[in-house]
Amino acid sequence: MASNIIEISHLSKYYGHSRGIEDVSLDVGQGEFFGFIGPNGAGKSTTIRILLNLIFPSSGSARIFGLDVLRDSKKIRGRLGYVPSDANLYDKMKVHEFLSFGAAFYGGNKSEDRIRELAGILDLNLERRITELSTGNKKKVNIIQALVHKPELLILDEPTSGLDPLIQSKLFGLLTEENKRGTTVFFSSHILSDVQALCRRVAIVKEGRIVKSDEIAVLREKQLKKVRILFADEGTSGNFHIPGMASILSVSPKTLEFMFSGDINELTGHLSGLRLENLSIEEPPLEEIFLHYYQ
Amino acid sequence: MINIILFRMEFRRNVRSMVLWSVTICALIFFTMSLFRSVLQYQQQIMGMVKIVPMAAMKARGFGNITDIFSGLGFYAANNIVYMMLLGSIYSMVLSSNILLKEEYLKTAEYLMSRPISRDEIFASKLAVALLNIATLNLVAGITGFISLIVFRSGDIVIHPFLIITLYTFLLNLFFGALGVIVAVMIRRPRPVTFFCVGLILVFYFIFTISRISGVSGEFGYVSPFKWVNMDVLKSDFSFEFWRIALFLGLALLLSGLSLMIYRKKDILT
Repeated sequence: MASNIIEISHLSKYYGHSRGIEDVSLDVGQGEFFGFIGPNGAGKSTTIRILLNLIFPSSGSARIFGLDVLRDSKKIRGRLGYVPSDANLYDKMKVHEFLSFGAAFYGGNKSEDRIRELAGILDLNLERRITELSTGNKKKVNIIQALVHKPELLILDEPTSGLDPLIQSKLFGLLTEENKRGTTVFFSSHILSDVQALCRRVAIVKEGRIVKSDEIAVLREKQLKKVRILFADEGTSGNFHIPGMASILSVSPKTLEFMFSGDINELTGHLSGLRLENLSIEEPPLEEIFLHYYQ
Repeated sequence: MINIILFRMEFRRNVRSMVLWSVTICALIFFTMSLFRSVLQYQQQIMGMVKIVPMAAMKARGFGNITDIFSGLGFYAANNIVYMMLLGSIYSMVLSSNILLKEEYLKTAEYLMSRPISRDEIFASKLAVALLNIATLNLVAGITGFISLIVFRSGDIVIHPFLIITLYTFLLNLFFGALGVIVAVMIRRPRPVTFFCVGLILVFYFIFTISRISGVSGEFGYVSPFKWVNMDVLKSDFSFEFWRIALFLGLALLLSGLSLMIYRKKDILT
């Protein structure tokens, strides 16, 4: 196992009496493409803002590159790139001026070529004023500013919102290339198809807590199955029950569709005494795994 | 401590408003001082008018005595209260509060604070720009005031009291600048505080004016920082008073230090 780039330990954040996140712990290894999924308000942005030292945790700790996010935040930020979900940019600047300004904080003098290369990939006009840009183009600017200094860690908070499918596809290609070069990617999103397309491992956040963290393949193959039974006799589906039967996806007089997390032999043994017309056992898509944990 | 990249960007962002304020205040100073010759020309008639104006109204306008109006420096100092002490303080407090706070309410803080720059550097760079702008405004207004005194003078100019009142004005502006910074860091839900700053300064100015009119020189008037400035430029014993300088500088430093401590621990909610 590669060394961890992000280590979060029992992190909690309260805003007065309201919950931000509670007891969040997770690790992200070097070179990983990690998905952080949950609906709006689950605590994804709160976690990221603590990692960036924008807000302070109520308890717990977090380390990036082995450095404490509170004490060494400047050093950490020098090595990461961040795409915020809805942050504004300095509206009066031109795109090129803004990107050069952002790149100047990292030193070096190779930013010009890199800005032009990334703007070419994402099809962004560098001469326009930021105030004139659409939401999608502003998002492109945010993506470029995060990539321009070739960071070791990329933290992306809802990076695809506002992007058309073509640019989304180019972004995914760009992120995959960066990841192949060794950049660790922390990808926070509520769009599960994006996470499924890119990430190897995910953490599911629900009401401020991590309810599951594992490899997508493991979640799909070993832990949860989507079972669809077509019974020969009407009425059987309503009375059917077996240990490990998790959320029911659909039910009708003859059919039953459910998520199953128990022993597959026990399931087939149970079904052997029943008359069936059809049976299918599939690996569920991430969306259904996600819904399972949310029900 | 100061990040030169942020300092340059912030200076460019604020230079236009500084130029606008400077030009406006300088024009007001110069225009008002241009009336001084007319005041001298119609001295008799003005004396007649002034006698029926309550002394309180004269004091409210910044004149310590009736005859102050016929002295170039007295005339300048009375106008300076309105133009530089009041307007300059409004500029200073609004500038220094918004220079920090606007990153939050314009939602650019998340971008800026994801750069490799510490909170101390952000604070110092932005305050340095505010200080430079306040100093520039005071310098330009002071030079304009001095030139207008030379152009419209009626006799010799005594430079010493002019320099003292100019320094006190700068220190007062500096104090309000520091007050603006602490207001900015104490606000939990970011929003523009311009109206609050203007309102607070007007309340202080009102207290100061009331204390001058009513002749109350004691504790009540000293609630207002305007009262901490010695404005009796025509008195023979008018000089630099260390305690006033120490008071303004000490409080400005204290407020800035406290602001930095709060800012270091502040949740940046955008």
